[in-house]
Amino acid sequence: MSGRRYRVEEAGRPAEFPPEALARIERILTRYPTKQAALLPVLWVAQETWGWISREAAEEVARILEVSPAHVDGVLTFYTMFNLCPVGKNLLQVCTSISCHLAGAGRLLERCKKRLGVDLEETTPDGKFTVVEVECIAGCDRAPSMMVNDTYYEPMDEEKLDALLDKLSADA
Amino acid sequence: MSGKTPITPGGGGAIPGPAAGGSPPSPPPPPPKDTYTILFDGKPIEVPRNVNLIEAGKLAGIEIPHFCFHPRLSVVGQCRMCLVEIEGIPKIQAACTTPLKEGLSVKTKTERVVESRAANMEFLLINHPLDCPICDQAGECKLQDNSFGYGDQRSRYDERKRQYAGFDRTMIGPHVIADMTRCIQCTRCIRFCQEIAGTGELTFLDRGGRTLVWTHDGKPLANDWSGCAADVCPVGALTVKEFRFRSRVWYLKKARSVCPGCNIGCNISIENRDSIVYRFLPRLNPQVNDYWLCDYGRFLSESLNLRDIEKASVRDGDAAAETHVPGAIEKIAAKIRQTVDSTGPAGLFFLGSANLSNEENFLLRKIADHLSCGNRDAVVDKSRLRRMKSKTVWVEGDHAGPNFAGAKDVGLSPRPGSYGLEDVLSGKARPGVILVADAAFSQIADDPEKVAVLRRAGFLAVAARTANALTRAADVVLPAASLAEKEGTFTNVQGRVQKFERAFLPGSSVRPHWELLLLLAVALGCGDRNWTPADLRRQIQSEVKGYADVTEEELKGGILMKKGTFVSVGAI
Amino acid sequence: MSEKVLLARVGREDSRSIDGYLEDGGYAALRTVLTGGWTPEKLTDEVKRSGLRGRGGAGFPTGVKWGFVPKDTKGKPVYLLCNADESEPGTFKDRLLMEEDPHQVIEGIILSSYAIKCRNAYIYIRGEFYLGARILVEALEEAYAKRYLGENILGSGYSLDVTVHRGAGAYICGEETGLIESLEGKRGQPRIKPPFPAVWGVFGAPTIVNNVETLACVVHIVNRGAEWFAKIGRNEKNSGPKLYCLSGHVNRPGVYEAPMGLQMKELLFGADYGQGMKDGKNVKAVIPGGASAAMLTAEEIEDCPLDFDGLMAKKSMLGSAAIIVMNEDTCIVDAAQNLAKFFSHESCGQCTPCREGTPWLQRVLTRIEAGEGRIHDIDLLEKISNQMANGMTICVFADAAIAPVLSSVGKFREEFRYHVEQKRCLVGPRALDREFVTA
Repeated sequence: MSGRRYRVEEAGRPAEFPPEALARIERILTRYPTKQAALLPVLWVAQETWGWISREAAEEVARILEVSPAHVDGVLTFYTMFNLCPVGKNLLQVCTSISCHLAGAGRLLERCKKRLGVDLEETTPDGKFTVVEVECIAGCDRAPSMMVNDTYYEPMDEEKLDALLDKLSADA
Repeated sequence: MSGKTPITPGGGGAIPGPAAGGSPPSPPPPPPKDTYTILFDGKPIEVPRNVNLIEAGKLAGIEIPHFCFHPRLSVVGQCRMCLVEIEGIPKIQAACTTPLKEGLSVKTKTERVVESRAANMEFLLINHPLDCPICDQAGECKLQDNSFGYGDQRSRYDERKRQYAGFDRTMIGPHVIADMTRCIQCTRCIRFCQEIAGTGELTFLDRGGRTLVWTHDGKPLANDWSGCAADVCPVGALTVKEFRFRSRVWYLKKARSVCPGCNIGCNISIENRDSIVYRFLPRLNPQVNDYWLCDYGRFLSESLNLRDIEKASVRDGDAAAETHVPGAIEKIAAKIRQTVDSTGPAGLFFLGSANLSNEENFLLRKIADHLSCGNRDAVVDKSRLRRMKSKTVWVEGDHAGPNFAGAKDVGLSPRPGSYGLEDVLSGKARPGVILVADAAFSQIADDPEKVAVLRRAGFLAVAARTANALTRAADVVLPAASLAEKEGTFTNVQGRVQKFERAFLPGSSVRPHWELLLLLAVALGCGDRNWTPADLRRQIQSEVKGYADVTEEELKGGILMKKGTFVSVGAI
Repeated sequence: MSEKVLLARVGREDSRSIDGYLEDGGYAALRTVLTGGWTPEKLTDEVKRSGLRGRGGAGFPTGVKWGFVPKDTKGKPVYLLCNADESEPGTFKDRLLMEEDPHQVIEGIILSSYAIKCRNAYIYIRGEFYLGARILVEALEEAYAKRYLGENILGSGYSLDVTVHRGAGAYICGEETGLIESLEGKRGQPRIKPPFPAVWGVFGAPTIVNNVETLACVVHIVNRGAEWFAKIGRNEKNSGPKLYCLSGHVNRPGVYEAPMGLQMKELLFGADYGQGMKDGKNVKAVIPGGASAAMLTAEEIEDCPLDFDGLMAKKSMLGSAAIIVMNEDTCIVDAAQNLAKFFSHESCGQCTPCREGTPWLQRVLTRIEAGEGRIHDIDLLEKISNQMANGMTICVFADAAIAPVLSSVGKFREEFRYHVEQKRCLVGPRALDREFVTA
């Protein structure tokens, strides 16, 4: 994400990890000699649980790992893949680094924005799509490359994009 | 020293030498050197091994400009201002991260060093707002100083300056205002909160050129020493709210003083102008408060400007009539003489204070002794536990005044067979004359019930600066100076005797407590009009147990420093 | 066409499973070392003699790096960190190795861990590689099940645990000390060196960080010998099989394996490789080693062996062997602006010259690209760049960031001047098009 990452939003309700997540966290903690080292894996568990990491979730993670909430904030805002606010069901991550740029990523991104009627980092009103720009995702030989949530879609062009967006819109 | 035994001449011969079969013991090896010889621009200097290279430079008289380095915080090498050339290393190195070793040769005046400093200053200034005219830090700003010393005058930056809407001119804690547009991301504040305060409220957020320092929402910068975070900030990114826009710092005079907040006795500088106290800054004293000052003590500064009592007053029936000090003193002296003549000295009660200096408490006790009165006392309120990080250990204190130890040391306790304050308040003792040398000695003075008990005495005289139930009840009120308006010494929880200087003279008829007591002593025949606090200190040295070794040098205590900078004195 | 070593199994039906790996002779190197009486020192020596140099970007001799771990670690454990953070623009070889032949990487990790007496190894894999992480986790489980990991591997007495640790979107975590900081659960801000990780690394313990491809090479060095490895390539200083990542305006971008020292033109035009320029266009510029490498002009790639020394001689670097090809229609100013944007986004922000310099470069380039440049801006780009690097910063990110700027301005100055004077691109379809400038 190219925008600024200052605010960790409030969810408005306490963050309680479900039992499976807690079990995963227990297992994670056994792989590291310090609790703090488990911070990134535990934040991933949080993001997988709620789709994003709220202020309450950050405080809960801080409590479990015995680090200060400010420390968790510092880590959350440093790494671009942690969502600091709710994102759409489909997080469209369009790479605009050099190889994809040379292959026309700029046009791909514009098409995304135009079709969905949103600007970068905005979510569509139906909650289905958020569009972000990302740096090189190592798909350069299949440029322009993009990801939707955890899946690569490459190489993309405007037609394929239209088809993909149609399909994703249709999915409930 | 190799420890070889000396060679004795062999064979026969009448050369005197060590007895056969033995040899003189080899002299013990010298202790390992605890210094290194470092060269700065070719000139060698011996420095202690445990200092940072920047401090070593300071010892050599060479200033190595820096922002992020602080002698009490971890070394991060982030600001890149301290870059120097080290002989044998091709690239320029940060001085603060260069380990000392014997023979290290540092070059600080080469073209590369000069250019790197100018380059770094340029980078720091491209996004920095032109706030100097409205920024409190001006005059004690490292960015100004280093720019003036090492930067280029012109700017080549033509783009928009970075903004931090919502994080500029915003309270980040109860006492600190943050303006992130001014921040140079040196992390001194973050490290202070993490390493000294131990509370870790501050963190970097985001990254790259968008980095800022902030707190977790809902956990503001609210530790007991939050003002120190503003102290260590080399620019105006963190400033103290209480001082905002109050004065330009170059107009402020500095007086070496001691914090009156508790018995830890942090060394402070009373920053004043035109007889007004504007703020306290810490004075560096590694044995007591190091570079720090707690918020409670720091923000007592304003209280020194409060004054209700300007003139002496004497009660006449229901009304209080203003009078001049000598007259009021004479009234007290007369009452004391009257009591001694009629009922004897047992009817007198002298109350000192943990807020008064050793000189003042000592003089009070001297007066009592002269009158053969054993009824004297000093009390102190307990406060919550306060803690201060000295260089090596945490110092703790829980007194609400700075000098209870001193008051007791100079003898303000009831003699055997005499009574103290507790007895008076319980009713066991009923003095006819009560002299309270400091009307703010305790919360008791604001408690109407307890004051009523004290009021039962026939004559009640107090010295005061601010009004309370006790001053309103007293027969005579003498106008007394604040901490800023007098000098003296306090004895802290470590048993350390520390001197505080006068910042400015008191106005109108206000006198320091010691002067008021001296006038009384003279009137009663046990004092010399010419005595100064220094004279009283000499008397303390010879008469009070444990105070014989206190020298003027020791009394001076900590070092004045500009806010945010550091001062190196030997290996501190 | 030369023999495939690293990519031998890619494309096979069973390339991911341990059964497929074992069938193809996998874990033989592990047996050789653990049950064939190899000491860690012997393995390290073999790797030293092979001339293997790090394939992450720095090209530091691997065996020598392993030797920096102190003999007496004073009771501290030693850590091996597999650097799978692959974020250098133009690079995608590690992704291929992990997704298609994970056990080769794992065997390399176990061997290298043994060499440095490591008991706990971590694979730091970038967050975006969800698939790679899943595949590695599964492969690790298979390896544990077959006792190639865990306690007493192959009855040798050597035990090792490997944990997959996912990053979360930060290029700077590919820097070895940035990776270490990130693994410790902090912001990935590189550390001051010295002390070097081999002495003081993750958790304060001796640490070796090696790239995925480097670790994969170790397997083959054991299987076929240091001499065999050293003979591959132009000379001993640039030895072994190498994966090249080709992208940009060629007909067939992809990962290609060749002996170290493959000629640039062969990679671009060879029938086994790039098969020439798309639509028959001419080459204008090539970035030979990822975004951090200086650009080369079409003349400069005429005789250009793709190895460490060959590219050093051209005043560039092999880096992560990411070759990005730009054709005659590419606006170099636009390319430079895109690269400057990348570095500005990815700067960690710790130290002044990089934090302030990278956005400054981006802003000036954006203005020039958008037709708002002034003539002195071109010199300004060079001045800013020249005061950012060479020791000014904590890590060499700044040195990387200035490479595209200095090389593009230095070699294509007229194009920059054209942008300033004519306020548009000199070449390319966007010569009159203003729409797609992303800042």
